[in-house]
Amino acid sequence: MGRPKAWLEWHGSTLLHRATAVLARTVDGPVVVVAAPGQELPPLPSGVSVVEDPVEGLGPMQGLAVGLEAVADRAETAFVCSTDMPFLHPAFVRRVLRALAPGTDVALPVARGFRQPLAAGYRTALAGLVKDLLAKGDLRPGMLFKHCEVARLSDEELLADAELARHDPTLESVINVNSPDDYAAARDRPPPEVVVECFGALARNGGHRPRGVRAATLGAAAAEAGLTLNRHVVAALNGDQVTRDEALPLVAGDTVAFLSADAGG
Amino acid sequence: MAPGGFFGQALVVDVAGGEASSAPYELDERVLRAYLGGVGLGTWLMHRLAPPRVDPLAPEAPLAFVFSSLVGTPLTTSAKFAVVAKSPLTGLLTDALASSQFAIAGKLTGHDAIVIRGRADELSVLLIDGDGVRLEPAPELAGLSAAEAESAAKERFGRNWRTAAIGPAGERQVRYATISHDGRHAGRGGLGAAMGAKNLKAVLVRAATKVSVADQAGVLAAARDLRRRSFGPATAKYRELGTLANLLAFNAVSTLPTRNFTAATFEGAPRLAAEELHELRGVARNSCASCSIGCEHIYSRKGGGSQRMEYENVFALGPLCGVSDPDEVFAASARCDELGLDTISAGGTIAWAMECAERGLIDEPWLRFGDGAALLRALDAIGERSPGLGELLAQGSRRAAEVVGHGSIDFAPQVKGLELPGYEPRSLQAMALGLAVNARGADHNRSGAYEADLSGDLDRLAGGAAHVAAAVDTEDRAAVMDSMILCKFLRGVFDDPFTEWARLLALVTGWQVDAAELRGTARRIVRAKRAFNLREGATAADDTLPARMLETPLELGSGRRAALDAGRLRSMVAGYYAARGLDEEGRVAAADLADLLLDG
Repeated sequence: MGRPKAWLEWHGSTLLHRATAVLARTVDGPVVVVAAPGQELPPLPSGVSVVEDPVEGLGPMQGLAVGLEAVADRAETAFVCSTDMPFLHPAFVRRVLRALAPGTDVALPVARGFRQPLAAGYRTALAGLVKDLLAKGDLRPGMLFKHCEVARLSDEELLADAELARHDPTLESVINVNSPDDYAAARDRPPPEVVVECFGALARNGGHRPRGVRAATLGAAAAEAGLTLNRHVVAALNGDQVTRDEALPLVAGDTVAFLSADAGG
Repeated sequence: MAPGGFFGQALVVDVAGGEASSAPYELDERVLRAYLGGVGLGTWLMHRLAPPRVDPLAPEAPLAFVFSSLVGTPLTTSAKFAVVAKSPLTGLLTDALASSQFAIAGKLTGHDAIVIRGRADELSVLLIDGDGVRLEPAPELAGLSAAEAESAAKERFGRNWRTAAIGPAGERQVRYATISHDGRHAGRGGLGAAMGAKNLKAVLVRAATKVSVADQAGVLAAARDLRRRSFGPATAKYRELGTLANLLAFNAVSTLPTRNFTAATFEGAPRLAAEELHELRGVARNSCASCSIGCEHIYSRKGGGSQRMEYENVFALGPLCGVSDPDEVFAASARCDELGLDTISAGGTIAWAMECAERGLIDEPWLRFGDGAALLRALDAIGERSPGLGELLAQGSRRAAEVVGHGSIDFAPQVKGLELPGYEPRSLQAMALGLAVNARGADHNRSGAYEADLSGDLDRLAGGAAHVAAAVDTEDRAAVMDSMILCKFLRGVFDDPFTEWARLLALVTGWQVDAAELRGTARRIVRAKRAFNLREGATAADDTLPARMLETPLELGSGRRAALDAGRLRSMVAGYYAARGLDEEGRVAAADLADLLLDG
């Protein structure tokens, strides 16, 4: 690519920001970035933490071990992904994590013709096993899968999830950006279609009725609605968290409600 | 000499028997500066004048109308007064604010507060002006609505009197009856019942004097500036759609209490939304006296007439009871006004009764969620205190649940006996703490912690230390605004509230007051309220929420669950006690009691 993927621009922020923010808005637990020794990272969403990989050059298994260990005291399972997945959808993450039933160690999508170990779910207790394998020189994820219980998820099994089928029917969640052409093609795609609603004083001339707009971030959706997020204007994503974070990534199927922050009465 | 904006005295009136007697009650500058006026001063007066453990409906229980230094100045929204008493509903301190010319005329009788004790021999009206006080029998006003009584009193005594009156519910001492004046209500906690217990249908006041401020030119300039700022974005919501604008927005974020808090979204919300009603039914906008915001929105009613609608009355008589027909909600709201009932407590108590009826705990098969006619029938029964259901529900949901039993207290929507306002605690967890610890009970005006929940600055589903800080801060701000007194709808126009409020107070009173002093004043007022409640028997066990909120998670529209368990709430309450300097049982430290100026 000629540039670190984490720093690649994506709708006003970076690919890494998008990946971490999508996970943060999807899961209840911690979100951790594993950085290479001395690696400089772009700004991250609030609440996302960074752990440094003490060893460089051992590939994704080493990062997996560090990441799983970092969250093991706060979560039994974790979704693990690479930084360069610009179309990762929360419905995909939820579907994969749901496959980590009791007795299952890894939920491994086999999507779009390939195993996806860097878009998969893992039990955090696997950290020790991964380290043992690394110590023996086994650097490939395939070796891990031989030593634990793996639930493989085909395209059909993934798309049996109605939410995922509706919002990511071709499983673009697992698309990587591996070349300048990939990156250019990804950037050329139109932003996802989301639904915008405005309430109260923000809804003039029937503006409270839902309408579809294309927006990759909350700030872009606000602009489409003719609004600026500030101390008087906030947004709720899918009726859930309230936020003023303009960089918050949106995905297909999102509903954004813009509210007056001056509640009360 | 009293500081600017004050007279330095209250008037204590005794209406026992057939005549009223009165005596001045000196308020020295130290007390005025420590409590400011309004709710703060009213709290201090209750400490001094209410006999410990007095029955709120007993003749000796005081009922105070309290003004402030700002009342009568041109500062926008300052024509407000507080009514303060021991609540017939909660048995603890209650205070309610209202806005009208009554505030100005009451203050210009020459008093910073009017405190009423005793019980008249027959239904009467109390008149107070420069000539003193007098009690006039008024049996002809019996059964009239507050608005009708106000008109009749003007007819009888003259148009230059300002009237605060009760409706039939207050006469019958329904424990959540209101005191009304000019269509506005001192609504919460049953102050109308306290007035009814004194056999007073109305209190009439007439201006008799003037009061000077320390810096007249400065006050005028500040008033112009505040008025200009009151037209900005911070008040747009109130101007353009009024508080009813909350309804659809709260529905979108799963915090609209529905069917007695069994859900937080209501499928009928769009029919009741300000956005829709404004287009279809909006007929007028109105303001309180001396207010430049104009938050009051009036809608036409099917079949004629109009009705002022606010978020709280629509929430309580609509979604909370499962009613989605706007005309049925308008009618229920109008009936509450006619009877003189607090809409939140009325709606909350009836919603609880609907759930009881559907569960078979009370034998009223007609009382069902979603039935607007049943809602009206229940309101009438309450207003009449008719034997059976009316008498039961006139006590409020807590007392009624104690009678019905079968675990119905677990879903009685109340804290300390006061019914919950329209803010779902499980999905607004800073607000959950505010509702649990507030002296008045479940209340959204003395704790505005929902502001933090809806600010985007914290996770509203995961109450913790940040939520404690937010609850303390908003409670402090409310304590000062309610005592100065300024309307909370102005709060967003202040960039540095305590500093700006101190500047306004300095201009009016002449005190060299700053933000730090006012923050201390806020803490003192909050402590004084708590100290009063502790004196009246409250304990840390009262600082909680109904079991339903702590045991039953709520399914959000997004699919996530909002859960607030007892452990998390206890942890936040403990954090609140620590932040307030209270001990582990929520008691005020001995060292802080001296600061309350309750002795001497």
